[in-house]
Amino acid sequence: MSAAADVGSLAEGLRRELGAPAVEEIELDLEGARLGLRIAPGPGGALGAALRLLGEAATPALVRGGGTRSAFGHPVPRARVLLETRALLPPTVVDDEDGIAYLPAGAALCDLREHVRKVSEGRWEIPLDPPGDSSTLGGCLAAAAAGPLHAAPRDAVLGLDVTLASGEPTRCGGRVVKNVAGYDLAKLYVGSLGTLGVIEGAWLRLQPAPEAREVWWAPVDDPRQALAAARAASTRVAAWLSREVAAELGAELGENRAGPALLVELAGDAPAVEAEARAWAGRAGAQRLEQGDPMAWLRARQGRPRGLRVRVASLASALAEVARILEEHGAQVLAYPARGELHADVDFSPGVSGDATVERILRGARLAARAGQGDFVVEDAPLAIREVREMFGDPEPRLALFRALKAQYDPRGILNPGRQAGRV
Amino acid sequence: MAPALEDELRQVVGSSHVLSRPEELLVYEADGLTHHSATPRAVVLPADKTEVVQIVKRCRAHGVPFVPRGAGTGLSGGALALDGGVVIECARMNRILRIDPEDRIAVVQPGVVNADLSKRVAPHGLFYAPDPSSQQACTLGGNVAENSGGPHTLKYGTTTNHVLALELVLPDGKLVQLGSATGMTVGYDLVGAVVGSEGTLGVVTEATMRLSPIPERVETLLGIFGEVVSACRAVGRMIRSGLVPAALEIVDRRTIEAVEASVYAAGLPTDAGAVLIVEVDGPAPAVARQVERVREHCVAEGADQVQVARDEAERQRFWRARKGAFGAMGRLAPDLYVHDAVVPRRKLPEILESICEIGDRHGLRLSNVFHAGDGNLHPNISFDRRDADEMARVLAAGEEILRTCVEAGGVISGEHGIGTEKRDFMGLLYSEADLEAMKKLRAAFDPTLVCNPGKLFPTTRFCVEANPKARGYDQVPLG
Ligand SMILES: Cc1cc2nc3c(=O)[nH]c(=O)nc-3n(C[C@H](O)[C@H](O)[C@H](O)COP(=O)(O)OP(=O)(O)OC[C@H]3O[C@@H](n4cnc5c(N)ncnc54)[C@H](O)[C@@H]3O)c2cc1C
Ligand SMILES: Cc1cc2nc3c(=O)[nH]c(=O)nc-3n(C[C@H](O)[C@H](O)[C@H](O)COP(=O)(O)OP(=O)(O)OC[C@H]3O[C@@H](n4cnc5c(N)ncnc54)[C@H](O)[C@@H]3O)c2cc1C
Repeated sequence: MSAAADVGSLAEGLRRELGAPAVEEIELDLEGARLGLRIAPGPGGALGAALRLLGEAATPALVRGGGTRSAFGHPVPRARVLLETRALLPPTVVDDEDGIAYLPAGAALCDLREHVRKVSEGRWEIPLDPPGDSSTLGGCLAAAAAGPLHAAPRDAVLGLDVTLASGEPTRCGGRVVKNVAGYDLAKLYVGSLGTLGVIEGAWLRLQPAPEAREVWWAPVDDPRQALAAARAASTRVAAWLSREVAAELGAELGENRAGPALLVELAGDAPAVEAEARAWAGRAGAQRLEQGDPMAWLRARQGRPRGLRVRVASLASALAEVARILEEHGAQVLAYPARGELHADVDFSPGVSGDATVERILRGARLAARAGQGDFVVEDAPLAIREVREMFGDPEPRLALFRALKAQYDPRGILNPGRQAGRV
Repeated sequence: MAPALEDELRQVVGSSHVLSRPEELLVYEADGLTHHSATPRAVVLPADKTEVVQIVKRCRAHGVPFVPRGAGTGLSGGALALDGGVVIECARMNRILRIDPEDRIAVVQPGVVNADLSKRVAPHGLFYAPDPSSQQACTLGGNVAENSGGPHTLKYGTTTNHVLALELVLPDGKLVQLGSATGMTVGYDLVGAVVGSEGTLGVVTEATMRLSPIPERVETLLGIFGEVVSACRAVGRMIRSGLVPAALEIVDRRTIEAVEASVYAAGLPTDAGAVLIVEVDGPAPAVARQVERVREHCVAEGADQVQVARDEAERQRFWRARKGAFGAMGRLAPDLYVHDAVVPRRKLPEILESICEIGDRHGLRLSNVFHAGDGNLHPNISFDRRDADEMARVLAAGEEILRTCVEAGGVISGEHGIGTEKRDFMGLLYSEADLEAMKKLRAAFDPTLVCNPGKLFPTTRFCVEANPKARGYDQVPLG
């Protein structure tokens, strides 16, 4: 039977609730699933009605925002419906007196960034900068996607509108910057990969745009040595680049870099940035980068598919050791020393690269995470690998709680079933 | 309590660490919210996590609920043992297990007192940022449960921004590790869910805290204003301009009068309408600039005077007015009701006027000392709970204040939590569905509701009336 026929009767009900244009029969193999329907419900009632119908038909959906990270997490072979969030566009509020905004989950972050910049006349920024230009706000929050500038999407969120799998619209948090009224459910939804509910909109705390900004780089052998510079008060971004990565950036900028390097963005009040820059000017081999936008390059590099990529967390004291282990296992490393985060990637093409490459990088990630007293996630891997291997370090000790949460929020398993850690 | 359970608990922790005589239980009848009380069946003081596991298992086996407790400084009745439960008091679990200056982390037991952690790590140039005004007494376990904040929350965030990992005894007695020392989350963010859960998801037995570097330079300013609303407007100007001071605190006239009449006297002018304490910190060149900007904003809103602390002694003096406020208020009446609500910051001037009007109309001694930079209000009502009429007026005014804040797009607690105090006001903010979503989290951790029951959720008597203006949603209609 075709994928569309599989969901035929459901399609009728969905058309009645959402209107014909929001429902389309398709034949699409995505994420190990045979999808027969694409739906794009609007906010509030429409999304709720769609989820209720999916629940009644016990038909799981694959939730998709910009689709830049459709391959993050485990595949969702049971899904039959593609639920697009692009129409989740409740009205926007930018309160530039209070430095907060309510933004729609279905909109692309690059558009929202521009909107906030315009409304606030350049005074406020959205503290989210995931790789992937078409990333939506909802996708970025659901994937807890960090970028070079902003490490923790959870810290930006004040409140969320979430429609649960039952179709019930709910709200948590609020618009104020401090709030302990009830459980902090926003923390639970951020990073839940769309397995507990669908995010419709979010109250975010904005960040004042820095007055001054400068980018520098200097040769630094390992990420632990980069720590002091990374932790300086005016450093907004500090990225340590292993030899190959530094060479890549060098080529982009028309510079010749032979060894590993530290790239920093100083940002903030002008006098502090100037003082810090003077210190940089006195460093051996340091150079100010005035051309191009190295931060955008970093973001784009992180977003470029390489086939195989892991993110490892490490304590500061173990950074050098962790980077060494990852390099020994064949990876190119990009580390954010101040936040103990290392991205390791290798070029991998299914059918060309062998299983040994996969085994090697996974082994490296496991050893590295142990050395760093941290954890790891596989952020990018071919479907065949994600079908059989765990993508989220070792979820075992917390698996019972993960399952209990899924059972509570999505008892029929209709939202991205299997995608989360431990295939929850 | 069933004697069998009491005996079992004595076996677990030793006889001297189980309290059950009425006179021993007296201090556990309330926390800092003195007009809510409940007598526990017993109080158990475990020495370590293995004892906590045993206590939880024994309580469960006997069908007796249990409540974790730190120092009992909570202000929402969170540590009360309702339904004849057992209090698990964490005071003996008060060791700092590990300090790692390079990694900037500390691993602590839950009974460690907040201020002690900063003291211990200061020689390494580090501090623990969340600084509730009760920091000399309250415990880190209590802070985690309440997601406590303090004057420096504006720049540094609340407890949730500083907890990397937790060890938790679940309500079924299993011990789990959540998060990691690096702060990385794999799967659902369970640390984020447990912080602020008011002791209803399990007993925290260990926590890994993030430490922050002591800033290179700190400057403290005192702005003296004729009217409290002008001080509020100065705060609005600073926020709007993108300035992020470390602290922005307002002390109103009535509080100044109480402070100046007490041992905390800081030499403030008692005819001032309010003082605004502003602290800026960071790299020296940035701080010098910020001091000037703060001064300009204060002057622009009509400050009579702006002083910059010349030395540490003067800095302490400025802060004395803020930190001594609760103590000073203790002189005014036998009881003090410290309210806690948050409003959008730009609404501070009008809300503050409304709050004072509410207090006056109910004939109450109401004063304000609050975290203005976060919009976090603390209307304090001095009263005597033995006076039934006054007590009734205190409660009526409190409810009106909460409704006013919610109407303005605010919330009913910024740092003290819901506990028993505000459980019946949760419906002002949340719909039935919102509350059901919270109950799902609760059910995943504690399906049988044995851990700190009776807190946070409305009692059955109460009906939900979620206000469309709550949390600013009049601007964003729900589907
Ligand atoms: C190749 C590549 C590499 C990347 N590498 C990194 C990296 O190294 N580190 C990093 O942090 N980020 C990385 N990203 C992050 C990526 O930018 C974010 O995950 C992104 O913000 C996802 O947005 P999206 O709209 O494309 O979401 P999608 O890719 O469509 O969805 C991401 C996840 O969120 C769910 N989801 C989407 N919208 C919603 C919603 N409204 N409600 C609930 N769930 C929803 C989806 O089901 C899916 O599980 C990478 C992106 C790309 C393209
Ligand atoms: C004068 C005064 C000033 C205050 N100022 C502030 C302030 O500025 N900011 C602020 O946020 N609060 C403030 N508070 C409130 C209070 O101090 C905080 O809520 C504090 O975190 C409570 O800590 P505690 O150790 O006293 O906890 P307790 O009162 O004993 O308990 C509070 C809650 O925590 C739970 N709990 C305690 N230990 C554990 C554990 N190990 N595991 C799980 N749950 C646990 C309890 O069950 C209870 O629900 C103030 C209180 C007073 C009296």
